[in-house]
Amino acid sequence: MKRFLVYALGIFVIMSLSGCGYNTMQINEEAVKAAWGDVEATYQRRNDLIPNLVEVVKSYAKHEKETLQAVTEARGKVGSIQAGADIVNDPKAFSQFQEAQASIGNALSRLLVVVEQYPDLKANQNFRDLQVQLEGTENRINVARTRYNKAVQEFNTSIRIFPNSVTNSILLHLKPKEAFKAEAGAEKAPKVKF
Amino acid sequence: MSLDFGVQRHHCSIKKKSNRIFSAIPYSFLIFIFFVALWPCSFRLFNFEIDFLSRAYATEIPPLKGYINDYANMIPPTIRTKLTNELREFERTDSTQIVILTIPSLEGLTIEDYSIKVAEAWKIGKKGRDNGIILIIANQERKIRIEVGRGLEGKLTDLMAGRIIDLVVKPRFKRGDFSGGLVAGIAALIDATKGEFKTDDDRPSRTIESFSPFFTILLFGAVGLLILGNISPVLGGVAGAIGLPVTAYFVLEPSVFTLILLCILGLIMGIFLPFLFSGAGQGRGGMFFPRGGSFGSRGRGNDDFDSRGGFGGGGDFGGGGASGDW
Repeated sequence: MKRFLVYALGIFVIMSLSGCGYNTMQINEEAVKAAWGDVEATYQRRNDLIPNLVEVVKSYAKHEKETLQAVTEARGKVGSIQAGADIVNDPKAFSQFQEAQASIGNALSRLLVVVEQYPDLKANQNFRDLQVQLEGTENRINVARTRYNKAVQEFNTSIRIFPNSVTNSILLHLKPKEAFKAEAGAEKAPKVKF
Repeated sequence: MSLDFGVQRHHCSIKKKSNRIFSAIPYSFLIFIFFVALWPCSFRLFNFEIDFLSRAYATEIPPLKGYINDYANMIPPTIRTKLTNELREFERTDSTQIVILTIPSLEGLTIEDYSIKVAEAWKIGKKGRDNGIILIIANQERKIRIEVGRGLEGKLTDLMAGRIIDLVVKPRFKRGDFSGGLVAGIAALIDATKGEFKTDDDRPSRTIESFSPFFTILLFGAVGLLILGNISPVLGGVAGAIGLPVTAYFVLEPSVFTLILLCILGLIMGIFLPFLFSGAGQGRGGMFFPRGGSFGSRGRGNDDFDSRGGFGGGGDFGGGGASGDW
């Protein structure tokens, strides 16, 4: 009977502790990487839309050179930051990336405010299509960022809670990952209105 | 090394054991029941946190009732039947799932935020194909959104979804013709996504999906066999011969021939597993728990749906689609 009890106890401990968390942490880190891939892809999607948008606006709103230039410049700045999966481990590079993307967002929202003064442009089917695509992209960015933050939160928790933290300090040496912070105003997606 | 030792020890104690078999049966039953009770418990323990989080996350999301979820009472019964038949037929041929949701009010959320929450809670579309579409209408705010699953983003682009809203749904809604708008909108969505997926290639994704829980159960089953086989080889053999095919029957839907093979395999395993492990018995550990499993989302009572692959089987959404108002 004693032997049964030992077995039962052993199984119970294994079941409730679910190991030392080694696999959990690995799984969570991969989830963060995947979520980051999505974030990058959605930002890239926005970047790809910008030249077309600038082109269309340029042909209607010749006097808005400055605004257009700001958008192009902000886009160029993002290109100079090497974004990769490593960026999530580097607080400095990460905040740089976030700032650069935020400045694109700001430039774009200014552009879309300016556009309000050009009814011909607003009626242009090409421009309207771009607006729909831009709106869709901003929404995707939002979703991707939320999911990334959730993945990071789960990962950071999993390397800090008790049995995992020991495993991590001995075996894995994983560092907490950076999450997006909501910046006052700057991080709001530009409102695209029809 | 330890293996040899174990076998020897087992032989030494086998006489004593055979005397004890009868008195051990009530205990073994107790332990058997204990494990039967514990198996689902371990899954539940593990999924509890995830379930809890997702439920808290989705508090205001109404439950998925069928193809038409008319919480704002905007769709008359005749149109409802017509649309349901159309959508069921479309899912039967193309496996793509389209769902309508009407709600009285967004309660302060933007339609984009609301709709991604619905998409995450309902998981419309097949797992691995992500071929779901949700058409959401918020009555009070007069907002429309088409939320497009990842697998359909190539065909039903944001632009296409935006045009369907602007050119097909919106003009009819403006006139107050909700039924006409929905019928025309659904027709446009079906036209836009027709042929992107076919029901036939459903099979591979399903077997992959049902594999991982099977191995988990197998692992626990092996441990159970170990215990029973330790008590008596007969008990272990019988448990293996019954347990393995039964598990396989529920999870994998195998043929009769496979079942018989599994029965024999289970018998052999039940008898010999304890021999293999009796030496190393106590020093074992490091068992792993695969995450998630597909237990949570299974077996919901959506009798309305074409039941082939299960509804809301885990389609993923990435925020694709378009919104509009009327």
